Amino acid sequence: MATVSTAPAPGMHQIDLSKLNLNQLAQLKQQLDQELNVFQDSLQTLKIAQRKFVESGESVEKIKPETKGRSIMVPLTGSMYVPGTIADTDNVIIDVGTGYYAQKDIEGAKDYFKRKVKFVTEQMEKIQVLGIEKTKVREAICMMIEMKLQAQAQAQKASTSS
Amino acid sequence: MAAEIQKKLQKELDVFNSLQKEYHKAVAQKQQLDGQLNENKAVKEELMLLKKDSEVYKLIGPVLVKQDLEDARQNVAKRMEYISKEIKRADGHISALENKQEAIQENVNKLKNDLGNLKIGA
Repeated sequence: MATVSTAPAPGMHQIDLSKLNLNQLAQLKQQLDQELNVFQDSLQTLKIAQRKFVESGESVEKIKPETKGRSIMVPLTGSMYVPGTIADTDNVIIDVGTGYYAQKDIEGAKDYFKRKVKFVTEQMEKIQVLGIEKTKVREAICMMIEMKLQAQAQAQKASTSS
Repeated sequence: MAAEIQKKLQKELDVFNSLQKEYHKAVAQKQQLDGQLNENKAVKEELMLLKKDSEVYKLIGPVLVKQDLEDARQNVAKRMEYISKEIKRADGHISALENKQEAIQENVNKLKNDLGNLKIGA
């Protein structure tokens, strides 16, 4: 589970971009690019986790008292199945993480997956908000670099023509 | 003179680069620990939510082994404690590396200045 933590303290974020030189700006931009990449990766991972939880939730929905005794094909490996019958339609065993599995009744399992989906979705939203903010800062830095470069070019022109 | 400073500068830069590598490694390690701690937190919450008579299993190799719920809770708590300690250690390591980096950065800047002055003088 990736709870997001950004290293710099929010209090010291006030930097006047125009006071930085080109080198510092480039460094800052690179740092932001890296952070944005991390966000993208995290979002991707979270999306996968979200889909897994949604799928599991849907599977639980399919287990009802009537399905008792019904035969199903149980996957032993990804490509091998054995026939089996559903003996217990009241409980399922859920992977709660770090190698622990807990037995839960159907309602509990539904609730578990609902909670997990909600948690993951919340994390994704948080990252998205952070990502948008960082993108804005990045744009500001890019603009500042552009301006500085232009100013530098102009200064050079002026000095060569004089 | 300039060549000497250049040599010194190169040496400092080499040290700086290796420090930076180590720093990145330490940060990655800390992130991994953070992830583990978060996962354990989620597991702990889940175990707390379970009813007293719920069955808990632990995955050992490919098999699920039945476990006592109380044991499982204690085990997770212990693991969290251990991971927290590891995180503290990693934090210390990271800040030490940061300090070293800063010191070398200063050295590098000074050497660069010296070099610049020398060039102007020459």
